[in-house]
Amino acid sequence: MLLPDHDFVKPATLAEGLAVLRDATGDVRLLGGGTDVVFNMRCRLMTPDTLLSLKDLPELQGVAVLPDGSLQLGAACRLTDLVASPLLIARYPALVKAFRAVASRHVRNLATLGGNLCLDTRCWFTNQTKEWRDAKGPCLKTGMDVCHAIAGAPVCVALNNADSPLPLIALDATVVLASSRGERSLLLRDFYREDGIRHTAREPDEILTGITIPPTTDRLVFLKETARQGMDFSYGAIAVRADGSGHTASRLRIVLGSLTTAPRLLIGAAAQLATLGLGDDGLEAACATLRDELGPLTNLYSPAAYKRELARILLRKAVLELRQGS
Amino acid sequence: MKKGFITLHVNGDAHEVLVSSQHTLLDVLRGKLKLMGTKEGCTTGSCGVCTVHNSRGEAVLSCLTPALEWAGQSITTIEGLEKNGRLAPIQQAFVAYHAVQCGFCTPGVIMSAQAVLNLTPAPTEEDINDGLAGVICRCTGHIKVKEAIRKVGEFGVGP
Repeated sequence: MLLPDHDFVKPATLAEGLAVLRDATGDVRLLGGGTDVVFNMRCRLMTPDTLLSLKDLPELQGVAVLPDGSLQLGAACRLTDLVASPLLIARYPALVKAFRAVASRHVRNLATLGGNLCLDTRCWFTNQTKEWRDAKGPCLKTGMDVCHAIAGAPVCVALNNADSPLPLIALDATVVLASSRGERSLLLRDFYREDGIRHTAREPDEILTGITIPPTTDRLVFLKETARQGMDFSYGAIAVRADGSGHTASRLRIVLGSLTTAPRLLIGAAAQLATLGLGDDGLEAACATLRDELGPLTNLYSPAAYKRELARILLRKAVLELRQGS
Repeated sequence: MKKGFITLHVNGDAHEVLVSSQHTLLDVLRGKLKLMGTKEGCTTGSCGVCTVHNSRGEAVLSCLTPALEWAGQSITTIEGLEKNGRLAPIQQAFVAYHAVQCGFCTPGVIMSAQAVLNLTPAPTEEDINDGLAGVICRCTGHIKVKEAIRKVGEFGVGP
């Protein structure tokens, strides 16, 4: 099936791209590798007037170490290149594991970091062919005040299935958003919203140019559970970061993904582990907070009860790995 | 650009093709250049039968990338693997090890296998699994396919 008709624009510089966004009258979609956007366009979930290709923008490339030791990743870095980056492999093996967990090598050879960070939310009622959706009727995301996943839901509850944000949120990474009005930085954890339609804080005239990771020597673990490894979206994924060693840690970050509309930073569970340690007592206390902290879950892609159990299992596995590790 | 001429270097030949923004790379390879070896499968990025190589010899899915993105770039399709009428070692190995059944996915599997060999001439089990994870063959079950790749990896040429 042909893609919807649109104007394909490939700017040579970031400034040129930002000017296109500033002057745009219609719907402009940003294109990284295209592996999500092209598919959504084919399903007519996205019918942009303009497609703005960012993949080759020179300002969005490369991995660099800043003077303060922070690591800067360009938004147009392909996931393949990040997986192969000696710097990342040496410093953040768990981050590399998360990049490598995204889809298959075929997809990662096209897909960009910025694209995965901005990956559209997914719902099994919406991410279908147009004919399928027409038979079911539209929903919040496709123009009606109805949610097929949760009756009466006020906002779209589609899931955020991106893997790479989880360890980056755990590392307190900051995204840089540029527009013709200027540039702003935002903690990645504040970038995502509990709204499946406007699921990020990116304004329509902004381009995500890169991400900065502050220096740290903390332990970091990433785990992903999925149907077929090496190609599918997650059923659930987790990133856990902790300082200290063995069973002791005072600063923890626990981020769960693919279970909710935005990646979820778990404050209560982290507090339990920080107080009681990473031993079995702390772990059980942390698991006990999950039900309240996750709140209501949808049956999208897997039953809510499965998601709850999966959250506990992921947390247990991740903490076990932290105890042993690095 | 909604429509325009772009140059695509496919299997070493330069082609000037009229491409619209509605076309994916796969649409152009099959529809305009009549290179029918590359197949259209799921068009969702799940099956891998549309796999071609970019200029670095990496496997990419031609169904998930707009054709206009490829202006001026080099692409290798399954038709470009044979040299002077002789099959590439990986193709010969697929024949020798009977890594084919119905054959529909075979171009995608061979291009994925060749991409593994381009990156790692003597691939490990993990390299092969990682490189093949993006393609699905519903007949052979990948056992014969992996045997064929391993053999080419061991000998550097076909058996």
